[in-house]
Amino acid sequence: MNNVILKIGLLAGVIFLSACTGGDSSPGYEFMPNMYRSASLETYGENTITGMNALQPVEGTVARGHLSTFNYDETLEGYLSAGENAVNPIKNTPENMADGKALYGMFCEHCHGKTGAGDGTVMHALYSAVPHYNDNKLLRRCNLPMCDLKAGHIFHAITFGLNSMGPHASQINEEERWKITLYIQEELQHYGLE
Amino acid sequence: MILIKDLKNRLGLLAVLILLSTNTFAQTEGEQIFKQNCTACHTIGNGRLVGPDLEGITKKRDATWLSAWITNSSELIASGDADAIAIFKEYNNIPMTAYDFSDKEMKSLLEYLAIEVEEDVATAKVGTEATSKGMSSTTLLLIVAVVLLLLIFVLTSVKNSLKESLQQPTETVFETIENFFKAIWANSPAVVALVFVVFIILLKVAFDAMMGVGVTTNYMPEQPIAYSHKIHAGDNGIDCNYCHTGARNSKMAGIPSANVCMNCHTYISSGSTTGETEIAKIYDAIGFDVKTRTYIEGYEQKPIKWVRIHNLPDLSYFNHSQHVTVGKIECQECHGAIEEMDVVRQENDLTMGWCIECHKETEVKMEGNDYYTLMHEKMKEKYAGQKITVDKIGGLECGKCHY
Repeated sequence: MNNVILKIGLLAGVIFLSACTGGDSSPGYEFMPNMYRSASLETYGENTITGMNALQPVEGTVARGHLSTFNYDETLEGYLSAGENAVNPIKNTPENMADGKALYGMFCEHCHGKTGAGDGTVMHALYSAVPHYNDNKLLRRCNLPMCDLKAGHIFHAITFGLNSMGPHASQINEEERWKITLYIQEELQHYGLE
Repeated sequence: MILIKDLKNRLGLLAVLILLSTNTFAQTEGEQIFKQNCTACHTIGNGRLVGPDLEGITKKRDATWLSAWITNSSELIASGDADAIAIFKEYNNIPMTAYDFSDKEMKSLLEYLAIEVEEDVATAKVGTEATSKGMSSTTLLLIVAVVLLLLIFVLTSVKNSLKESLQQPTETVFETIENFFKAIWANSPAVVALVFVVFIILLKVAFDAMMGVGVTTNYMPEQPIAYSHKIHAGDNGIDCNYCHTGARNSKMAGIPSANVCMNCHTYISSGSTTGETEIAKIYDAIGFDVKTRTYIEGYEQKPIKWVRIHNLPDLSYFNHSQHVTVGKIECQECHGAIEEMDVVRQENDLTMGWCIECHKETEVKMEGNDYYTLMHEKMKEKYAGQKITVDKIGGLECGKCHY
């Protein structure tokens, strides 16, 4: 009798154990967890002293190689003055154009579309009215149509945002933004226009 | 004759169809104009964006004023119209683009604005109705188990009542099971086979459990915000690099900070599947007031505590930029079809065997990597006729990842 119960128990145990394939909401077992959750600070972890490990740079400091040459305010005046004065420091070379095209694909295309016609893949109704880069009729806030926007206008818009477009300065550095500007000006502003 | 009648009927149907379609077209022309030109700055009933909410605008202002404003707002302001100047000032002195609509277009746009006021409320109500969720597979399994158990007892009682009617001795369920095992126990080859099978199963279970230590394949924890990669990267086609900006140029792919979410969610405050609850969590973290669409001053921002899924132990070094930018590996090759996942799941096991397998098969991308031209030429000579895979440039050396 005892044996029989033992057998049943054993079988039930095996079935029970074989059902444990590690729940999807749990990462499973760890050996030497210190190697996975190390004592040193991980990039996005938290600590008891400052809270978040990811911190903002100290105010007034500039990362090496990232001193900005674009000193315009996040205002309409800044936008207009950037359009008049700012010059794209990136040369029009095949490499820079290729970089600009790749960056445009990553950061702009889903709203502005492959050819800049505002027909990106983002489906939300809010982003159905994205202006065409090659629009030569409607005058924008700088009194120019889209196809005549200056490099400074485009760079200012990427950096600080414009209308429903958010500021992209935290995602793309200045050099990359100028490359995108170059690509837009060379390829898209006169796309299909004579 | 019948044929002609049939033809007449069909033609009639066609005419009705055409009439209907032109009718709906007339209604949607204004909508089309609105969606193509206005939605970047205006909503109808969803609060202010760059410009004011246009809900009920046709009641507030008359058609001549509206068309003058839309055609050229700067002129209207310059003419000294008090309303125009007030609006211009309220919306940060940003001039509205001048739209050169024809009279017909302007008319259908204004008609659309007038209709939309009532319709918007109706559609909003439909949108908030929650879709009922299907039963989870676990509860379904449990129900099946309970039904089966009940079935055992019912069938046993049926058997017993039959036996009683035949005046045979009856037995309970437990006695049946016991007798079954007694019979096996009495048969020694069966016992040996059973023990052997159980042993093998146990061995396999133990082996799998050991191999699974520290391997988190299929891990899909619930995240603090029900962010769906399917909606963002899949349906809306946003590039992975848009949010994971570090992947191109640093070790970490990067978890986007809330300001990246806000690039779109400043204005999109209601999601297609979760409504406003999940997006409100971003606003709560960053301190954003949806009503005025401004950031709250002096707000103590709270970090969003995302749960890490892909986690390599400290004993191995991995660099995203090395794989993404230099190796030109698609994100999906390691992370699976993220763009189809509502909840992210770890697709691959991230074990050393998995790394090495890929390093042995993946060819080195040499084009456009001028810095190493000399080395690449030498390698082409050395391995003439062979594929130059990652292991040939040291992709299997211990020290490359463990140091």
